[in-house]
Amino acid sequence: MEQVQADPTEITWWDSFSARSEFVRDRIVPILRYTRRNRLVLIGLGAFLALTLFVGISYLFYSQVDLLGERHGVGGLVRAASVQANQRPSWNPWSGYPLGTDLQGRDIYAAVVVGIPLSLRIGVIAAAIGVGIGMVLAFVAAYVGGVVDAVIRTIVDSLIPIPGLLVLVLVATSLNPGQGLSVDQLAFVIAVLAWPGPARVIRSQVLVIRERGYVEMARMSGTSAIGIIFKEMMPNLAPYALASFVAAVSGSILASIGVESLGLGPLDSPTLGSMIYWNIFNSSVLLGLWYWLLPPIVVLITLFVGLFMISAGLDEVANPRLRRRV
Amino acid sequence: MFVITIWMASTIVFFLPRLSGQNPLAEKIYQDAQQGGYLDPDVAERIRVFEAKYGFDKPLWQQYVKFVGDVVQFDLGRSIFQWPKSVNEILAEKIMWTLSMGLLTLILAFIIGSIMGALLEWKRNNWGLMVAMAPILAISAVPFFIFGLVLQLLVFNVNNEFPLVYGHRQQVGWPDWSDWNFIFSVLQHGFLPAMSITLVSLGGWAMGMRGMMVTTKGEDYMVQAEAKGLPERIMLTKYAIRNSLLPQVTGLSLALGLIISGVVLVEIVFGYPGVGGQLLQAVRSNDYPTTQGIVFVLAFGTAAATFVLDMTYPLLDPRIKSGGS
Repeated sequence: MEQVQADPTEITWWDSFSARSEFVRDRIVPILRYTRRNRLVLIGLGAFLALTLFVGISYLFYSQVDLLGERHGVGGLVRAASVQANQRPSWNPWSGYPLGTDLQGRDIYAAVVVGIPLSLRIGVIAAAIGVGIGMVLAFVAAYVGGVVDAVIRTIVDSLIPIPGLLVLVLVATSLNPGQGLSVDQLAFVIAVLAWPGPARVIRSQVLVIRERGYVEMARMSGTSAIGIIFKEMMPNLAPYALASFVAAVSGSILASIGVESLGLGPLDSPTLGSMIYWNIFNSSVLLGLWYWLLPPIVVLITLFVGLFMISAGLDEVANPRLRRRV
Repeated sequence: MFVITIWMASTIVFFLPRLSGQNPLAEKIYQDAQQGGYLDPDVAERIRVFEAKYGFDKPLWQQYVKFVGDVVQFDLGRSIFQWPKSVNEILAEKIMWTLSMGLLTLILAFIIGSIMGALLEWKRNNWGLMVAMAPILAISAVPFFIFGLVLQLLVFNVNNEFPLVYGHRQQVGWPDWSDWNFIFSVLQHGFLPAMSITLVSLGGWAMGMRGMMVTTKGEDYMVQAEAKGLPERIMLTKYAIRNSLLPQVTGLSLALGLIISGVVLVEIVFGYPGVGGQLLQAVRSNDYPTTQGIVFVLAFGTAAATFVLDMTYPLLDPRIKSGGS
């Protein structure tokens, strides 16, 4: 099989691999080549992968014996107290608790491991709903045009200046006063305000792409509107949609942490935000319990910086003008 | 647009708390009535009187019309939890702290960030600048109050005399704004919250400015300025920065809402005396009028500032005539 080498000076492991399949050669290899140059996405994905590995490995291999002498994995440890509650919270990684124990005698390491996927879950659910609604609205607005477009645009533009967190606080308290929300409920609450941003970005892109030559061409050859949207426009919108999805995940996690830190989230599940809430509630900084506050903060910073880099990198893919000159 | 935003804010603020189906007024009156140890027999009558006072006995649409009518005149009603204080009184004590913190940090971050971004692009390959910018760009993705917690941890372990919470010195009597020591304590207490907002938002402004500078540097008038032999300082300030700054100003109006949300959380972390703590308390005690008042005033503030910015934009950029899209 003859091998088409795009750049004969560099032969890497994926070039030999790509010789076997046209799909890999034409689609995957350019992406890999590009990511190698686009460091932002690489670093961001690396941070993400590190967190995933940390959670996965801990779920598989980490366990502790609780007060009753039973051995639990991380899932059981966040429910059972690991040390007696009348003992002081402690940080002594050499006695078996890698990150110490908190005020309730729970294992902080286990809480962080369980908290990461929970917080991510909130972010992903909310962002998926938000970007989904935003996309539908964007297409409707850009395609139907006229009054519908004006109405959607007005609603979106007038919602954007309203400070989102405050509305979320109102929604969160009015849905379930007194007791916190569950993890999934919180995700739906956050989705309520996650759509105006993506709707605005995608609408303006749809308007631009609609005027491109190939869309015009498809229209003239009699492709239906649905066909144009899915076959011609979607593939070209993908980088924008992906970039705004990643940004929406980050924004939703930010919003969830905000709502949770006010004590309005799922207080019984150890999401990263409720860990922060209990820290603020018990003023752990003044008590000197820095090892309780630090783990969720470190994880959150890694998460936010990682997501930020991925979305900035994807922006570069979507906007070739931003691409670094080589 | 401004009017629609205000109307939407007041509608959201009116209906959301009522969805919960609770009756905070009755709860509060029961609570007060039980304080003496026995239940006052005429408590039902009292609830009825107060409901009439608050207008809760009327149908919802009448309440809504009255609410919107009152709110546009800035009559936000009376608090339930802190009866008989009016919401305006409660806000008057707190709002200045929040607004001054928000505005001050926004302007500081805008100016310093823009200058940093401009220099970053102007002096390419300057290692000192790049090393200084790396951490600032990295933390720009972190929420304000999380960074605030980090600052608290750091400062507490370095110097545990430095004030971590409250907005001013704790003292007997009312805050005395003519006392220099008191003013100094206000600045000292405000330092950490202000830092946590400013440092985090620097990165965004710097990146935006840098992006604009890239475009501006490629413009023909820059080439011409260089050909004329203008001093570099004038090229930077009068040509490059002036032209790059305009889109940054548009960014200001988008940043306002974020800053306000952020300030509310930062205030709670630092126990700052702004509306943040008040909002939390009102939300917990189901104090509709206060919650509504705070959210409405903050939304109004951001919308008004956005509106003013949009109006001043044509003044800054003569190419855009007022009334354009």
